[in-house]
Amino acid sequence: MSNVVFELRDVYFSYLGKFEALCGVDIAIEKGKKVSVIGANGSGKSTLLHLLDGLIFADKGSVKFQGKELSERDFNDEDFSRNFRRSVGLVFQDPDIQLFCPTVKEDIIFGPLQLGIEKEEIKKRLDELVTILNIGDLLNRPPHELSIGEKRKVALASSLIINPDVLLLDEPTAGLDPLTTRHIMDLLISANASGKTIITSTHDLHIVEEISDLVYVFSHEKKIAKFGQVDLILEDIELLEANNLAHIHSHRHKDKIHIHPHVHLGHHPEEENLR
Amino acid sequence: MKKKSNFIRRSLISALSFLKDSVFAEEYTSRNGFLQGIDPRLKVASFALFFITAIFLKRAELLILLYGLCLLLALFSKINLGWFLKRTWLFIPVFSLLIVIPALFDIFTPGETLFTLNILRAKLVISRQGFFGARLFVMRVIVSVSFAVLLSITTKHFALLKTFRIFGIPQVFVMTMGMCYRYIYLFLKVVEDTYLAIKSRVGTRLDYKKGQHIVAWNISALWNRSYHLGEDVYGAMLSRGYTAEPVILDDFKTKSRDWLWLFFVVIFFVIILYIDRRVL
Repeated sequence: MSNVVFELRDVYFSYLGKFEALCGVDIAIEKGKKVSVIGANGSGKSTLLHLLDGLIFADKGSVKFQGKELSERDFNDEDFSRNFRRSVGLVFQDPDIQLFCPTVKEDIIFGPLQLGIEKEEIKKRLDELVTILNIGDLLNRPPHELSIGEKRKVALASSLIINPDVLLLDEPTAGLDPLTTRHIMDLLISANASGKTIITSTHDLHIVEEISDLVYVFSHEKKIAKFGQVDLILEDIELLEANNLAHIHSHRHKDKIHIHPHVHLGHHPEEENLR
Repeated sequence: MKKKSNFIRRSLISALSFLKDSVFAEEYTSRNGFLQGIDPRLKVASFALFFITAIFLKRAELLILLYGLCLLLALFSKINLGWFLKRTWLFIPVFSLLIVIPALFDIFTPGETLFTLNILRAKLVISRQGFFGARLFVMRVIVSVSFAVLLSITTKHFALLKTFRIFGIPQVFVMTMGMCYRYIYLFLKVVEDTYLAIKSRVGTRLDYKKGQHIVAWNISALWNRSYHLGEDVYGAMLSRGYTAEPVILDDFKTKSRDWLWLFFVVIFFVIILYIDRRVL
């Protein structure tokens, strides 16, 4: 049996039939892998995740989930729709979109309630997530009162509680402080270790190394410029520069101005000193 | 011109602050008071009885007694009485007084003469029936409004929304109301931020006409944003398994104290209406 969860073949998508968002994308994502989709703003990353989540459908080409081609008609079938939603969870880029209930607790349990999960099971999962994410004191608060970091944690909890096999994350660490970013990263790594497939869209190269086995780089032409192992992609400064993921940086060093390409990656001063 | 521009600024800031304070003030609902501890479903049922009582009572003394009970409940619920009175007396009774003024005069309510007013050589007669009818109407409004405000400030909005279901209101309606409540705040924030963004670029010296244009553009931009937000939120709902009929968790817990409270209210309702009818 094939191990491929999502397979996209020559996928095109445009908004309102005129604003192109994806132009001939081929992707294959294997079960249990960590995959990152990186690219500049407007390169089609969010559109790709919405396609994978069955919220929009390709104008041309095919999107297959576990070998079955996804079409709008399939989602009218309640059983198919429920099974798909139980298997795939999406964390939206803007948590204000995802958190639409009057309280945090209602937002978190919204998904499992709609999917017919037993109330006892929901309570058990909620208790677990509250402990892991340390959000117990937020449960009865309205989402608009939360900070961006808290909103992101709650949005993540509202998808994780469904316990999906595939987790899609749209810029999960955007605007977060380093500690909260670390917390969310640890959570994603542990979710992957438990067998979940993690697909993350980001342009934050700090996090790519840790949350990726495979990286797809989206170009300004809204197609894949290159894909491959994370270290190979991150070493390709020319590619990153061409796709707005690295920039020319100038700084003064010993009375001389140095100009060189600069990539925001994690630094390990101890290791550097050892070299 | 500057005055007018300040007027727009002041109005905008006051409207935003009023909406935030009145709609989103959760301070009182979180207090450890008497009404805050009652199961919202039984609280709504008991308050419905208070409203019915206020509508059917015909004796002013009994309405005053009911109003006294309302103030007592506010006190036991740790509500600042000054704030509560300001909030209830400021707006709605003023409007009810305006509505009721014509009914005072014998042109609309004929009857015995109580007072005669001479305004610009015109003789206006206030009839006894008109006066007492108007007094009863205003008192009923005051009592009903006070109970309505008391209910809203001692019950969390989401709990209040959920209790609508006991009156058979469809879940989808309850959920839509909840979402409106949630996103009004977001849009208030957008309006506030937009105002600050304008202020940072043009300062406070803004021509009145230009100010009107900016307000109109903002309304249109806000409309666009709300339209896109609606689409996105619907996508987020679908993503988490929403079909057509939302499922909401009913996690209310009723304690014996709640039933005791409802029992007291029912007894009070029966006794007060009995007295009202018997004395008449």
